[in-house]
Amino acid sequence: MSAAERKHEFVDVLRRQQIEEGLAADRRLDGRKANETRELSIEVGPVVKANGSALVRLGNTAVMVGVKILQGTPFPDTPDQGVLTVNADVLPISSPYEEPGPPDEDTIELARVVDRGIRESHMVDMKELAVEPGKKVYAVFVDVAVLDVDGNLFDATSYAAVTALASARFKKVSVKDGEVVQMEEMVKLPVSTIPVSVTAGKVGEFLFLDPTGTEEAVMEARMTTTFDSEDNLCATQKGGEGFFTPEEVLRQMEVARAKAKEIRAKIKEAVKNAGKE
Amino acid sequence: MTELINARNIRIDGRKLDELRPIKLKVGVLNNADGSAYIEWGRNKIMAAVYGPKECHPKHKMLADRALLKCRYHMTPFSVDDRKPPQPSRREVELSKIIREALAPAILLEEFPRTAIEIYVEVLQSDGGSRVASITAASAALADAGIPMRDLVVGCAVGKVAGKIVADLNDTEDKEGDVDLPVACMPNLNLVTLLQSDGAMSKEDFEEAFKMALEKCRYVYDLQRQALLEGYTPQKEDE
Amino acid sequence: MSKIQRKFVVPGDLVVKGDFEPVANAYRDADAVYALKVGLSEIEGDKVRIIPLAGRYIPRIDDPVVGIVTDVNAFAWTVEINSFFPAFITASDVFGKRFSPERDDLTRMFNMGDVVLARVAAFDRFKDPMLSVAGPRLGAIRGGQLVKVSPVKVPRLIGRRGAMTKMIEDSTGTRITIGQNGYTVITGPPDKMLVASQAIELVETDAHMAGLTETVQAFLTKSMGRNAVIPEPDYDGE
Repeated sequence: MSAAERKHEFVDVLRRQQIEEGLAADRRLDGRKANETRELSIEVGPVVKANGSALVRLGNTAVMVGVKILQGTPFPDTPDQGVLTVNADVLPISSPYEEPGPPDEDTIELARVVDRGIRESHMVDMKELAVEPGKKVYAVFVDVAVLDVDGNLFDATSYAAVTALASARFKKVSVKDGEVVQMEEMVKLPVSTIPVSVTAGKVGEFLFLDPTGTEEAVMEARMTTTFDSEDNLCATQKGGEGFFTPEEVLRQMEVARAKAKEIRAKIKEAVKNAGKE
Repeated sequence: MTELINARNIRIDGRKLDELRPIKLKVGVLNNADGSAYIEWGRNKIMAAVYGPKECHPKHKMLADRALLKCRYHMTPFSVDDRKPPQPSRREVELSKIIREALAPAILLEEFPRTAIEIYVEVLQSDGGSRVASITAASAALADAGIPMRDLVVGCAVGKVAGKIVADLNDTEDKEGDVDLPVACMPNLNLVTLLQSDGAMSKEDFEEAFKMALEKCRYVYDLQRQALLEGYTPQKEDE
Repeated sequence: MSKIQRKFVVPGDLVVKGDFEPVANAYRDADAVYALKVGLSEIEGDKVRIIPLAGRYIPRIDDPVVGIVTDVNAFAWTVEINSFFPAFITASDVFGKRFSPERDDLTRMFNMGDVVLARVAAFDRFKDPMLSVAGPRLGAIRGGQLVKVSPVKVPRLIGRRGAMTKMIEDSTGTRITIGQNGYTVITGPPDKMLVASQAIELVETDAHMAGLTETVQAFLTKSMGRNAVIPEPDYDGE
């Protein structure tokens, strides 16, 4: 059953006041302006045993994603398409408020929102991932390991997952006389667009991008929007026990659309540079 | 593939582009709950119940300055074409959370420190738009429980099907359409409390769809208000 | 005095614009007052209140309440009063300042399951309701039948200046003790308690319909086989 759970420091009155006053002056605790995101570092391919992997640091938040491409059976309603799943684990090493065990609702929401950004943008052409339609397809597993939590898991995870997918390499298989034959050549996944997620937090009347853990502790609401390479909106998720005015929604869409372009360039560059090595 | 919208802009179930499916809502349908509501929206059949404010269990979840709001969105195994396994799916876990977060802004939780308010949504038969139907029913159930709220909460989904923006997707349109945009709001305060989307939309698409969703919420709100009125002015059946 | 106007409201409804003060179950935002609950809005002078049509009992200091003792420990009784919070009666309220947990056995006064008539002595949102049984008629109720009425229907069950209760009591020859929390005890011969409890049930189901007094009166007349004792008609809940 869903119920709010405190997964952050207990915020004292002074800190809350400082955040609120800062936002009014467009100066956040770490000196950023409302529409600035934290430093983003993307390491491509840290895990050689995975088909694709990435370690993303967004400020102090660190997320590792590994992509494994295996063979599986298609879903009955999409017999000619490959299968993609995003699974998230916010590891107990990542924060004093996380414990081992099955994923809680926050983790499930994280995985599903990142999944929707990838799926709804049609980043990976699933139709090209059929080996033998109706029988055998490629199954793409996107496994998220959150290593260190300081806010905005949605974006950090999305960047890591997208980078890992865009840089993944795998050996194709074919079926000859009922036998599965693995080809020698390494190929890329059929990636057509780079979805980029941009998350804003809200305190009072102020919206700001890429909230830190402390900001999340006082935040009333959250809005995550994902855009594809053509600047289309592909996925949205409002979160938190607060609300947005319709004007805030429309304004935030444009702020996020512009920010997504910036970040997409960084992801593309990281993937490109890794490919050269 | 079936034609989702014909040349005369009529949808597969005969509706116009901005037309909603029939909606029936009734409050006070369960005896034991503090508040309850039943909604039929298209082929959705959903029962919502509210218990509380009541003692909070487990005690360590208790909040010192407000009520703990709990919510469960659950689909019965027979509610879909295949059998849904009874244990909660990832989708149900997520929906429980976003439904709770869509309703929370309306409730004066700070009036009831250390207590719990429980919202249960049971989908008996599902169709497209079950989350917005659930929110509409659950909000009516909260009002029926006498829980103080700044405003009611209503929801409606809008989507993009065969290149056109349409209101209130049914199951087929939801599966075969391009975009789904569920929205919930507090209609009098004009505040958005649920916003999700999936599927590619240009800036113009989004703005048109979002506007339509808010308008349709207003329409659903009138039905919801009417249902509450009828629930509290019982008509004598033999008269 | 200005005439009281009533209208049905749901949460979020605009009750009135202008300089009005929300007194109960309403809130002010900018230059208007809005409803917080399903109920009947009432504007009296510059005061706005919503008479709720649903909800549990919200304790108010000095309200008489009927409760059920659900727990006893060395210092207090826990009493269930159909509210959000459990209520308490402290041992010193009963035994006085000389109360000693070593010497005094609380179960000698009230035990689990006992029905008590008490007064709300203290309550706010951050403090569980504290009850007191110090006062005339307060204490354990040792006979009769407990019926549970929705707290929002209590004003109708009481009627104007107690008229509804009196009609049921006089017609059936019973005594009715009503807690503001809706818990109500009827005392009298078993067959008459039955009629009284049915009449109370009728008040509850028809509480917000016009002609309630006549409906109940007709029922009592039919059930008791003679004319009910008729008070002046009322449509007023308070």
